[in-house]
Amino acid sequence: MIQLNNIEKYYANKGIKNYVLRLVTTTIKQGEFVSIMGPSGAGKSTLLNIIGMLEEPTYGSYEFLGEDVTSLNERKRIELYRNHIGFVFQAYHLIDEMTVYENIEAPLLYKKVGSSERASRIADLLDRFNIVAKKDLFPNQLSGGQQQLVGIARALAAQPSIILADEPTGNLQSAQAEEIMTLFKKLNQEDGITIIQVTHSEKNAQYGNRILHIADGVVKEDVAILS
Amino acid sequence: MFKLNLKIALRSLFKNKVYAAINIGGLAIGLTAFVLMLLYINHEESYDTWSPDLKNVYQVREKHSFFSPDNEDHWQEVNDSRMANLVRENIPQALAVTRVTADWGFSSGYSVKIAHANPIMVTGMKDADSSFFQVFPYEFLQGDSESALNAPKSVVLKESLARKLFGTEKVLGKTLKVLMWRNDPGTDLTITGVVADPETPQSVSFNALMRTGEEDKVPESASNFHYCQIYARLNPVADTVSVNQSLLKVYTDHQKKSLIKRKLEYNEIYKNGKIPGLKVIPLQDVHLNPPFKLSWIEKLRPVMGISIFLLVISIINFVNLATAQSVQRAKEVGVKKVLGVYKRELIAQFLLESALQSIISLFLCVVLIEVVLPSFKHHFNVQLSFWLNPQLKMMLTQLFGLFSLVTLLAGFYPSWVLSNYNPVAVLKGSYESGLKGVLLRNALVVFQFVISITFIIAIGIMHKQSQFISNKDLGFERGELVNIKTNYDESFAEKLRRIPGVQYVATTTQVMGNAFNVPEEIMYKGKSINMNTVTVSMDALPSLGVKVLQGRLFAKTYKQDTINTVILNEAAANLIDEKPVGKSYNIKDGNKSLVFQIVGVIKNYHNEGFDKAVLPTIYKVTHLGGMSSTNNLLLRLNTSNTGEIMRKVQLEWKQAYPDYPMEYKTMDDIFADLLTENKRFLNMIILFSILSVSLSLLGLFALSTFVAKRRTKEVAVRKVLGASNLQIINLLNRSFLVLVLIANLISWPIAYILVKKWLDGFAYRIDMPVYPFLMATIVSVVISALTVSIQARKAANGNPVHALKYE
Repeated sequence: MIQLNNIEKYYANKGIKNYVLRLVTTTIKQGEFVSIMGPSGAGKSTLLNIIGMLEEPTYGSYEFLGEDVTSLNERKRIELYRNHIGFVFQAYHLIDEMTVYENIEAPLLYKKVGSSERASRIADLLDRFNIVAKKDLFPNQLSGGQQQLVGIARALAAQPSIILADEPTGNLQSAQAEEIMTLFKKLNQEDGITIIQVTHSEKNAQYGNRILHIADGVVKEDVAILS
Repeated sequence: MFKLNLKIALRSLFKNKVYAAINIGGLAIGLTAFVLMLLYINHEESYDTWSPDLKNVYQVREKHSFFSPDNEDHWQEVNDSRMANLVRENIPQALAVTRVTADWGFSSGYSVKIAHANPIMVTGMKDADSSFFQVFPYEFLQGDSESALNAPKSVVLKESLARKLFGTEKVLGKTLKVLMWRNDPGTDLTITGVVADPETPQSVSFNALMRTGEEDKVPESASNFHYCQIYARLNPVADTVSVNQSLLKVYTDHQKKSLIKRKLEYNEIYKNGKIPGLKVIPLQDVHLNPPFKLSWIEKLRPVMGISIFLLVISIINFVNLATAQSVQRAKEVGVKKVLGVYKRELIAQFLLESALQSIISLFLCVVLIEVVLPSFKHHFNVQLSFWLNPQLKMMLTQLFGLFSLVTLLAGFYPSWVLSNYNPVAVLKGSYESGLKGVLLRNALVVFQFVISITFIIAIGIMHKQSQFISNKDLGFERGELVNIKTNYDESFAEKLRRIPGVQYVATTTQVMGNAFNVPEEIMYKGKSINMNTVTVSMDALPSLGVKVLQGRLFAKTYKQDTINTVILNEAAANLIDEKPVGKSYNIKDGNKSLVFQIVGVIKNYHNEGFDKAVLPTIYKVTHLGGMSSTNNLLLRLNTSNTGEIMRKVQLEWKQAYPDYPMEYKTMDDIFADLLTENKRFLNMIILFSILSVSLSLLGLFALSTFVAKRRTKEVAVRKVLGASNLQIINLLNRSFLVLVLIANLISWPIAYILVKKWLDGFAYRIDMPVYPFLMATIVSVVISALTVSIQARKAANGNPVHALKYE
């Protein structure tokens, strides 16, 4: 599904190249649950951003679903966001002016899904995540864990084939974090959604089936986890 | 999607109530000023547009010096009545030509008597010849335009006047007795028509259009003149340029013949670049080009500038606040971008938000207009209305255009900035890009303050100038001096002199409020000098209380005073001689030469506005070269109990002239009238400056709030490092004060140039003072420091722990 070849990313500063990523080559198949790990400043988030097409690599090629997306025009990229990619953030990033219901509805509106279809999908998601009672609340009325549930529900609403999560449990207490990770695992196993997460926690990484260890921009280790 | 965006817009408005209120309120004020100006412009532009046929109506203008304020040649709308025949006979394109009495401004109207009712003054009684309604396409409700003025001694009323006088418009055949001056025996006029009041204003406006016969005749002797206004209806296909060419040729020929009859030399009169002139101008241009006076557009220009500036200031506030606030919306933009939203959809969303705010301001503005319109109407002395406006449709179109313009101006930049946010950056929580546009924002703040400071400086100087004017020595005593609108009559004057408290009764052709300038060329020691002549009665100069500089005033004891002695004012003396008393000069009267002896010099006294210098003037009691019809009857009282004495004067008047009401004004009132225009202008500048300063301060307040918020972390770090509250307030103030100081530096030269131009319009003015400039700087720095400090104090008092906890 994802094919990265010799991805490099550096920032030129006064003639000196500061490398963030060096010669990253890897393949991620449909249905994998990959955790990217490494110390602070290793380039984990940059790698995730490149996979999510939020940043462009300085060098190297990137194929998403068999299509070269190294440099993509805005229209194409937005189509991919609408149909294939769901983002989950550490700070949840729900839109404060929208209720829970509206936050989940937003991607469907952009995807121009019909209203009855929208209603049934949202009802389904609310039901699945046990947040039906919270649907008319605003994000600041929810706990962190609940906000992240809404964030995931929003990412799932458009029925993406892949979810990109940047430290999804970074701001959560451990019980809530466990709940989220279990949910991810379930989504991966039952619905076959590809998940790529950046995490600091060895424990959270164990929920997936593969770990990419990165240090100083280089992939040091690529381990499969056998469950 | 639209619904959701609207919801978001409303929710974020409610979340930031204070800023939303500042934004919307400010914009509403700016819009109100602008829309009021639009209303006024629409009103002025609607002059003479009440019938499509008016396109073919033209006013005739002649170039001459009669009745001009500076005795020079000007294009005038009051012309020699012979011009009507000249146009009628020589211009084949002219379908109809009519003569109408000019508005001389001598009296406010004529006395009208119906049967045995008390006489009342009716304004707008115009006299015309029989062709008036062939030129002006009025709609007849009673009678018809063809025959209404066929017979002399007929009158056509406007519907409004007919209703006022009779309570109905069915008044055909009734008679009015009209008295044009106090001992006029009166003329009986038969009502032969009633016309509808046009919807839009008219430059040739009347309440009643009479044909007394006065306007039918042309003086027989070539040296007699009758002045009136002349209007012509031309063939719709007539070419004005060629009409004017033939008019000029015909007029030149006419002048040559006429000057020969008057024993004058054409080449003597028209020399040194002075040329004869006669032309027609379209009626629609008449209101825009009044002779001698500033046209409404010129008068309005400063107001237009100011109201556009106000609108710009409020739009700037809008833009500044929206971009500053954009930090808060950055996350939303980032999220939406990764959810798959196009940039143009984001732009549309934010434009929708500014549209929402501007539509609310527009509603507020309509409400505000309803509130301020009455005082605006009073202030500018015009009839305006918003909802009942005949041009409501056009008004609404203009408002819609204004709304779109404001929305785009105010909304486009912020939405462009917002939609350009890089999602990676903002989602990571770094708002560095929120700092973009700081330069622009600062530039806009400077711009706002330049406007406000310029206003403050202008107020200071204008206030000083108006104080100077109202305290200026006029050269005569204006207290306890009354001017009755009538000519001097010896027997009536004698009756008034017998009233105790009346010191002098006199007349003059030149007094404040009614100055009639008659040019005269005198020969002094072989030099020819242009002077202004004023005819006075014996007591006029003492009753005015003028100051004698040399020689004496006129007195009954000197027999020759009624024959050939004159008094000069200082300006005239300066042109002639240092010590002119006792010397004499000549004037040419046909072939004869008349000699006048100078017996005194008086100090200049003012009789026009302070924008005009006092003309070099000769005062004489004799009728030689002067005139007796003055329409001024001066009463000098030696008691301050004016009301009581005027009641007695009124009684005398009633006995003498029972059919004509008396009109009078005290010189204090006339002087106040003279100052009103400037006072109005000053008041308006003050009002607008207060608005613009408060709008700028509101903007500064809101902006400083956001800056304080954005620098919360920096403030917290500094506090942890040991900065005192005062140091932090100073820190936050500094960046704004620099802007205010820059604005001061920029506005000084601008204010200097603008105010100098205004001052230059006065013949009597103060020197440019320095202290308003310093005052403006101090005021602007102090109030902006106070404004910013409100927010800075809050930031400084905050607990640093809260600010540093996250990240």
